[in-house]
Parts: sequence; C-alpha cells; structure tokens
Amino acid sequence: MEKKATWLVIHPSALLIAFILKQFLINSTNADVFLWPIPQSISWGIGPPIIISSNLNISSPRQMDLNRAVVYYRELILSEKWLPVQASANPTSLPSTEAATNYSLNLIQIKVEDISADLQYGVNESYSLIVPDQGGTATLETVTIWGAIRGLETFSQLIRVPSGKSEGESIIEHGVAIHDEPKFAHRGLLLDTSRNFYPVKDILRTIRALGHNKMNVFHWHITDSQSFPLSLASEPLLAAKGSYGERYIYSQKDVAKIVRYGRSFGVRIVPEIDTPGHTASWGVAYPEIVVCNNQFWVPPGVAWVDRFANEPGPGQLNPLNPKTYEVYKNVVDDLANMFPDTFFHAGGDEIKAGCWKNSTDIQKFLQENHTLDEALTRFINTTRSFLTSHNKTTVYWADVITSTVAKVDPSLLPPSSTILQNWDAGSEGTKSLVQKGYPVIASDVDWFYLDCGFGNWMTNNTNLDQDFNDDPGNTFNWAPQGRGAGTGGSWCAPYKSWSRIYDHDITANMTSEEAKLVIGAEVSLWGEQADGAVVDSRLWPRTAALGESMWSGNRDAEGRKRSGEANDRMNDWRFRLLGRGIAAEPLQPLWCLKNPHQCDFVQ
Amino acid sequence: MEKEKKAKWIVIHSPALLIALIVNQFFIISANADVFLWPIPQSISWGAGPPITISSHLRITFPRHRDLHRAVVYYRKLMLSEKWLPVQVSAKPTSPTATVAAANYSLTWLQIKVRDISADLQHGVDESYSLNVPDQGSRAKLEAMTVWGVIRGLETLTQLIRMPSGKSKGEPIIEHGVSIHDKPKFAHRGLLLDTSRNFYAVNDILRTIRALGHNKMNVFHWHITDSQSFPLSLASEPLLAAKGSYGEGFIYSNKDVAKIVRYGRTFGVRVIPEIDAPGHTASWAAAYPEIVVCNNQFWVPPGVDRFANEPTPGQLNPLNPKTYEVFKNVVDDVASMFPDTFFHAGADEIILGCWKNSTDIQKFLKENHTMDEILTRFINTSRSFFTSHNKTTVYWADVITSTEAKVDPTLLPPSSTILQNWNGGSEKTKSLVQKGYRVIASDVDWFYLDCGFGNWLSNNTNLDQDFNNDPNNTYNWAPQGKGAGTGGSWCAPFKSWSRIYDHDITAGMTSEEAKLVIGGEVCLWSEQSDGVVVDSRLWPRTAALGESMWSGNRNEEGRKRSGEATDRMNDWRFRLLRRGIGAEPLQPLWCLKHSHQCDFEQTF
Repeated sequence: MEKKATWLVIHPSALLIAFILKQFLINSTNADVFLWPIPQSISWGIGPPIIISSNLNISSPRQMDLNRAVVYYRELILSEKWLPVQASANPTSLPSTEAATNYSLNLIQIKVEDISADLQYGVNESYSLIVPDQGGTATLETVTIWGAIRGLETFSQLIRVPSGKSEGESIIEHGVAIHDEPKFAHRGLLLDTSRNFYPVKDILRTIRALGHNKMNVFHWHITDSQSFPLSLASEPLLAAKGSYGERYIYSQKDVAKIVRYGRSFGVRIVPEIDTPGHTASWGVAYPEIVVCNNQFWVPPGVAWVDRFANEPGPGQLNPLNPKTYEVYKNVVDDLANMFPDTFFHAGGDEIKAGCWKNSTDIQKFLQENHTLDEALTRFINTTRSFLTSHNKTTVYWADVITSTVAKVDPSLLPPSSTILQNWDAGSEGTKSLVQKGYPVIASDVDWFYLDCGFGNWMTNNTNLDQDFNDDPGNTFNWAPQGRGAGTGGSWCAPYKSWSRIYDHDITANMTSEEAKLVIGAEVSLWGEQADGAVVDSRLWPRTAALGESMWSGNRDAEGRKRSGEANDRMNDWRFRLLGRGIAAEPLQPLWCLKNPHQCDFVQ
Repeated sequence: MEKEKKAKWIVIHSPALLIALIVNQFFIISANADVFLWPIPQSISWGAGPPITISSHLRITFPRHRDLHRAVVYYRKLMLSEKWLPVQVSAKPTSPTATVAAANYSLTWLQIKVRDISADLQHGVDESYSLNVPDQGSRAKLEAMTVWGVIRGLETLTQLIRMPSGKSKGEPIIEHGVSIHDKPKFAHRGLLLDTSRNFYAVNDILRTIRALGHNKMNVFHWHITDSQSFPLSLASEPLLAAKGSYGEGFIYSNKDVAKIVRYGRTFGVRVIPEIDAPGHTASWAAAYPEIVVCNNQFWVPPGVDRFANEPTPGQLNPLNPKTYEVFKNVVDDVASMFPDTFFHAGADEIILGCWKNSTDIQKFLKENHTMDEILTRFINTSRSFFTSHNKTTVYWADVITSTEAKVDPTLLPPSSTILQNWNGGSEKTKSLVQKGYRVIASDVDWFYLDCGFGNWLSNNTNLDQDFNNDPNNTYNWAPQGKGAGTGGSWCAPFKSWSRIYDHDITAGMTSEEAKLVIGGEVCLWSEQSDGVVVDSRLWPRTAALGESMWSGNRNEEGRKRSGEATDRMNDWRFRLLRRGIGAEPLQPLWCLKHSHQCDFEQTF
C-alpha cells in the first residue's frame, strides 16, 4: 500500500523574511547541528557526511494527512539549505573520520504500525529514525502517522549545508539513530482572535510553526466580548453583527482549511467559545440575551470591585433567559461539527458580579434568595449537556470551580469528561485541581502569557499627568527616587522571556501520581495589543521554549534547569524559524551567537 | 528668485506589499468624515464648504531645489495613491460638517513658495509653514521660510486627504477648505537607533527615516558603533569594519551612508552620527588589539569588578598614542561623510573595572593620577578632532556627571558642546542647563524603547527557582506567588505611547532654563531588536514623541492630553501600516469603533 507522493509545493513563500535572513547565511564556522526540541535519545555515527540526494524519495503509507506532510517536508529538506548562524563552543555531533566519500541518502522509508489512529488527545507521537552510516535508505518507524510527522520534522532539522557553503547539496553530518517521544501529551498555544483579528494565513503560518516545534494544540479562543468573528450556519447573525466587519469573519471553509492544515502538522485545533462571561459581542445580534453591555466598563460612581468587566467592553450572557440557551445550543451544535477534536473549551472564566447585578432579571433572582453561584450553576449545568451530547470533553478555565464571584460545585463536573485549565494560581493551584481528580492544562499568567509587559493599553489615563510618583500602588508610573519601576500598567507584567517560560515547572511539588494528571501546558497570546502585524514576534521564539520544555523536559541529566545549556540551540532556532518564514524576534546581540556563552549571566 | 519647475513623477515610494496586505482588511470600517492629523498643527481653521476633490492631474509648482524636488515627487504620489479611509471612528467630528451641496470643486494646483531657498538642514532651521486650501479648491498655497518647512507642510497636506466615507475607490478629497499655520515647539525631535548590537539593513534605516518624516521628526541619531560590532566602512581605517563588523553583509559602505544622508534630506531628517568612545569600543580591538583594554574576557569574571554593563567588555586605552591616531582617522572620515554640524562623541558608561584591568593604567594610577585625569586626557585630545571640522560635539551627560570618571565642565564650552541626558529625569536636565549647556532629553524612564523585554542574558540560574520572595531578585520576584518585578529588564517597564507622550522634558524649569532644552529623542538600543522587529519596536511609540515635541503635550487648559490624542493616535497607527511601516497595535479594534470606551477614566 505504499505510495509515492506527488511533490506539490505547499511551503508558503516568505520573500521578505528570506531577504532579511540572507545576510546571516555567511557566518557559520563549524559543522554543528542544532535540534529543537532536543530528542529524548540521539546517537551519532562517526562516518563522513552523507549527501542528501536531490532525487530523495520518501515512501509512506497512503494516508491523506501524512501524504501532505511528506510533500511539505520533502520540499523543505531539499530547499532549506540551512547553514547555522550560531557558533558552538562544543561541536554538537562528533567529528567524522573525514574521508570524503560518495555516500548519499536516496530514500526515507516510513513505516507506521497503526495507520488508523486519529489525531486526538494522547495519541502516540513517538518515532524512531535511523540514518545508516553509509546513507542509502533511512527508516522512520512509528506507531502512528502523527509520530511520523514528528520524525520528519526532526529529519529536516538534521539537514544542513557543509560549513562555509550556502549552495550545493545538503548533508547529514553522520549516520544517526534517534528515539523520541513527548514528555507531555498536550503542548499548545492559545490565540485570541476576538480582541484583534488575524487573517487565515496568519493562523496557518502559526500552526506550521507549532509543527516545527513538535507542538500539537492550537487552542483557538475564537470569540470574546470585543468581536464574534466566526460564521455559523445556524446563527449567522452573531458574526454578521458581532464581528468587526465583513472581512473579519472566519467562514466555514476557512475553519475546514485550518483544521486540515493542522492535521498536516499534527496540530489539533481546540475551539473555545467563552461563556457566560466575555460575551458582549453576542449582544449585537441578540441584545436580549446579554446584560450590562453598551455601557462604559467602569461607570463613574461604580466601585472598582463592582466594575462590569476587567476591561472594555462589558457584557455577559443572561443565564435566566431561555433564549440564551437556544442561541448557545445552536452555536455548540455548529461548532461540534466544524471541529473534529474531542476537546471543546467552554470558557467559564472571569464572571463579574457587577455585570450580572446590573440586570433587573438577576437582581430579582437574587432578591428571591438565590445566589450568583446558582446563576452560574444553572448556566453550566444546562450548557454542558449540549457539549456532552456531542461526546465532547469539556475544558473550562479553573475559575468555574474556584472563583470567589460565582462558581459551581465540582460534583457537577465529572473529571472523566472535564478538563480544567489553570491560568492564575501557579503550580500550587494546579496541584489543588489535580487533587480533586481533574486533568489540568497549565497556562499560568506568570510564566506563560505572551501578551504581558507591553504597558497599559487603556487611554485617557490621568495617572500620567504626573511624570512619576512615589506610590507603589500606582503602577503606571511608579518611580521610587525618580527611577522608573513598576509594571507600566500591564496587569501581568513583566514580559515573559523565553528562559522564564522554559525553566518553569508545571508539576512542581507534586507526587508522581498527581503529576500524571497534568496533561500539559499552553502559552497564551491574548489579543489586546497584538494582531497580524506583530503576531510572529509576539509568539516566536518564546512559544518554542514551551515546545521544548513540554516535549523534551527542561532539566539536564543531573536534574538541573537547562535553559542555559539550551541557549545555543535556541539562538540558532530563532534564525532557522526566520528562514522558514516565521518572523521570530531576536534574543541577543548577534555577537553572542558568534561568541558562545560569553553572554551568559553566570559563567 | 523662484524658478518654478514641473517635477517628473518618478516613483520613489518603496513598495510594502506584505504590510499593504495586512492593512487591506481595514479599509471598510469608516463611518464618518473625520480627518486625523499627526502631529496636530499649532493652528488649523476649517472652512465649511463641500468636499474638494483632489485632481488626479494635480500640479505642484515649486522652486528648484534637489531635496525639495525629491520630496514633492514622493508626496504627490502619496497624495494620489494612498486613498486613506480612516479606521478610527470619532465621537466628535474633527472638522465641521459641510453644508453639503455636492459641488465640482477640485484641487488642481499646489503652489509652493519658499522665502529662503538656501537655508540648509541644520539644527534650528525654520520649519514653519502655512498651508491654505481655498473653499472652492482650485489652487492651494504652501508657503514657508525654508524648503524644510515646505516638506512639513507637504506631510500635513497628505494627512488632510482621504476617501469619502464608505468609498475605497475613486478620487480622494479634502473635506473642506482649510487654513493651517504650523511650527515646531522643539527644534530637535529625534530617534536614536543602535546598529552595533544588531545590524539593520539599509532598507530598514531608510524606511525608519521616512517614518520620522511622516511624524515631522527631524533627527536620526545614528549610534553606529559599539562594543559588539563596528559596521561602518571607513576609507582611512578599513580594518575596523573588515575585522570588527559581524561580517561582509553587515557593513555600511560610504555609498550607503551617502544614500541615507540624501534620503534624510528628502524628508527633512538630519542624520547625526555617533561614534561612542572611549567606552563601548571592544569592536575596535578586532583590528587594533593594542588600543583596547579588558576585551576578550568574560564580562563579569568570577570574583572581579565587572568590565562592562553587558557583554562584551572593552574600552579604548587613553594612554596609548596609537589610540588617537586611529580615533583621528575615524573622526576625519565620519566628519566628511556626514554633513550635519552635530557629531555625537559618546563618552558614556566608563567602567572602572575595565580600565583597571590594564597594566598601563594601573601604573598610571600608581603614579598618583586619577581616572578623571585619564578620561580628561582622552576627551581633551579627541575633542580637537571634532572642532577642527567645525562640529558641535554632543556627549552623553556622563562626561561631566559620572562618579567613575568625568571631566571638568570648563573643558567643554557650552558654545560648542551639547549634552544628552539619559538618566535622572528632568531634574538632571535642569542641573545641566543651569551649567549653561544645551540639552537633549532622552531619559530612560520615558524614552527608551527597548525596555521591558525581559533579561536577555543566558544561563540565568536565578530561574532555577520558579519564583522567589526577594524583591531584589527581579528576574522572577513573585510576592505571594504572583509575578512582579522587571523580568530582569534593567529599565523595565515598557514605555507605552501615552507614557512617552505625557512626559515633560522641561518640568520644573524656568522659561529661561527651558530654552536650553533643545528637544528630545527616543532610543532603541538593539540588544533585543533587529530588522525583523524594528518597525513594531519603534512605531507608533516614536510618533508619540513626534507630537509632544512638535505640538506639545498639553491642551489649552494646560492639562496633559494623551487622552484627547487617542483617536488620532489610533488612526495614525493604521495609516502608518498603510504607508508600509509595521507599527504595532495599541488596543482592540473594538476601541477604535467605540471612541473613548477604552479609556481608563470616563471624561469624554
């Protein structure tokens, strides 16, 4: 059943970035190979370099997604011609007993044990890749096609051009044997497409970059209060009225394309429709189901604690209105069909009491001796059945059981079909959730929020009337002794550097049984201060740091944190991502790449 | 004296396909007929007539002048091709509603008049202009003292032009006739770009200069060299770049510099070179190891006073005569490559640990000399190299204020010396002007654009712990387990546009003192930036300084007005995108569609 793929080019061109990168191609000084994320086990031969034949064939079982991946990676392998930018103090592979030979690699043979395993949570992604010392045929053996896609990525990273050459044939330094598998099953990125919109091609490029980092989840925070950019067959008005406009809507065709593209790179698309908070945008089509919207987010005279939302503009679904559930069920039914993943993220975060209390319906309900917990419970209870009827595993933000404003009783959310995502309580918070039996996704703001540290984005901030002040509580321009400090008004400052992300332990202080319930992690880019103009530099290479810590782990053989050791690989990877059309931001002066470890904090 | 000349309409507008694609999606949102100007003119008075169409055959007549000619070619093309439809929806229309009786008024001729065609682009040149568009269109007049004022007026005219609401095709319009009288509040309105830590392609620099022009900014302070690399090719000292740059593709040639200077003149932007010395010079050692001390060592060797504030260490040796040979050649070359009368000579951040690492200097100190004497020898000797070219030398204020090594102010006469203040706020600026110096304000706490991106040093073992309770460990300080601190960025937080905008560079000064503050600069030091991110690091934040330096940052009642400026700033970000500048987003698009609903305080 093996089939030769036809060699279509699906690698998007990236002329601009290629142009920027071009200048870096002349710098290499030795024959290193930098892999990201680093495989669990790699063992190099010591033979001479093996040339990658320009007629390289890749044979693989017939499977649509794998065949697409093979087409993409063959093109990448033959065209990338990578010459490392990073100079390394210690060569990463052994020197060969150099006797230039004519060894060449003509075939990669992919063998998959279980061709039918679908791309779902927990699918086996392990692979073994053997390149013989004399070239010829490389074998890539895996349990599933999704493991094969990981192995193809690794193979592409092994390929480079010989030192000092930027043209001619690519090589692998030596034969090599790699056995690899992920440490965590859920390795993701959250992108918020509601605060600001991203064109489909930005999303596709982001998914491809996730694949390059062996990450497997694109958590798509589709809707929020600011806009509703998803076109739905049963509820067309939501996007027609609640989006930013005609060109700011994802069509069903767009979604299908994104899901299909994700499968080419082994990336699951997990949709999130955040409710009952974060829903002002629903109020444009259905004003009757949303409360507290169309008002200033902290009306003058309203106490901060009673604010309608944590940011403009406010609006929450009314859980007491039957119409709410009509609309919501239509939304869920449509989404469940559009997204094949068994995970469905239902939000459930940041209920503001002030917003619900702004509704006369809810005021009356509370006067009848009901509580906000009951209001939320009614909503979660009713809506959850919509999701489970589609056999979805529901994911909620941990707030749903931990919020002090409104929460539900955990007994209503069985751990067998519920996953909680922890965004604000560190590994302590994660621990308390797994102790309740829940599988948990870690995405703590203090380490994993990529939007932090860009200052306050609200306007008309009269705190700035003063150049600085001595009040640490005024974080906008706190400047003790006239020297700047504070957060600049970013609620989650500081900016999370790649090494901070990399070195964070999501299972700190847990027993091994507890740690097993931590299924993985996500970095998150909330969209208040990001859009397509900056998305690549906001995400990359910082998201890659999570990619490695979740795939390979973040500790060395002696159990110490290893962002320091990973530095050379990370530096080269940033430039290689550039070469692959991902506009990743620079991490250090180029001097540091030419002088390995001279830019360390500790020698 | 005014020979009018028809320009040939050559295209010099650089294409920006990628960004145009990004911005393309934003064209359909406009709801009313507002005009958003940046920086806001000092005086603007609208007519009340119907919209005036901009004729696609618009004729621009102007006196013969090479730079002006280039500017006219560029701006005419922009006026006719930009087809701007605002993204921002304004609560209050920015121009009066026309008593619309759709007329056939059209603007067919822009007549430019310049009083003094010979005034050169130098510090303090008159940039004022008057622009008059009659209610019935036909002929607009742009009058200025100098060609540099005309260039400012052309920029304003492009911003007045937009598409009628709801249309993205057809002819652009000006809403009504209008009369504008405008001039800058400060003479020196600049941006510092560091091309040593990371390299920027010439294209990136040209695009940055063009963006400065769009913001009526007039100084590109080019921090060319530093310890990490020496990217400037010099005829007299070719080895410095050949050995001290990042490589062949990372060098600015004489031709590149000429192109950059010429392009700057097209947009009224002076290009001021900085060769930082005697600190920040490790890169000189690749060619001349004998003139640099403390280099080729780890920047903070275990157990030693640090050699530099960051990798890599290296300072010129003021006791070696060879140092001055090389330095004089450098100054002679750079002085002839850059026509500006300002020459920035650096002199910041002398680190004693570095000089003390030299046996020469150790010996000198033992002979009862001081570090101040060492620096004084260097400054005294090298300063004559600049003055012999009639350059006004600019130094970082450190040169007279540093506690490590400083010179006596009497050696630096205010008539030919300008100081740039990067720390200590307006208090320190005040102390400098009180000594009689003209000062450029670029305080780190408000004007450094590289701040807040975390610590960029690798192998930071502080991160072995997820967080700690020590506020002095800023890398991952997390009181009560909640993140805080600077993330290791030495100058955190990130400076938002409103923080930049609302900063007063002359706070607490008498009007006499304030006169010596010639202006401000925002600075992008490049440890964590390069061509890939330069646009989003610079824009639109640099535009905030552009307006505060040109228009001022207070309203008629004397209150700070970043809040009032919000709608204009939001629209300007998108217009910069349209013009090929990859400016970063400031708010959810929702905020642009709901004017002032994203305010921190509801006062509008």
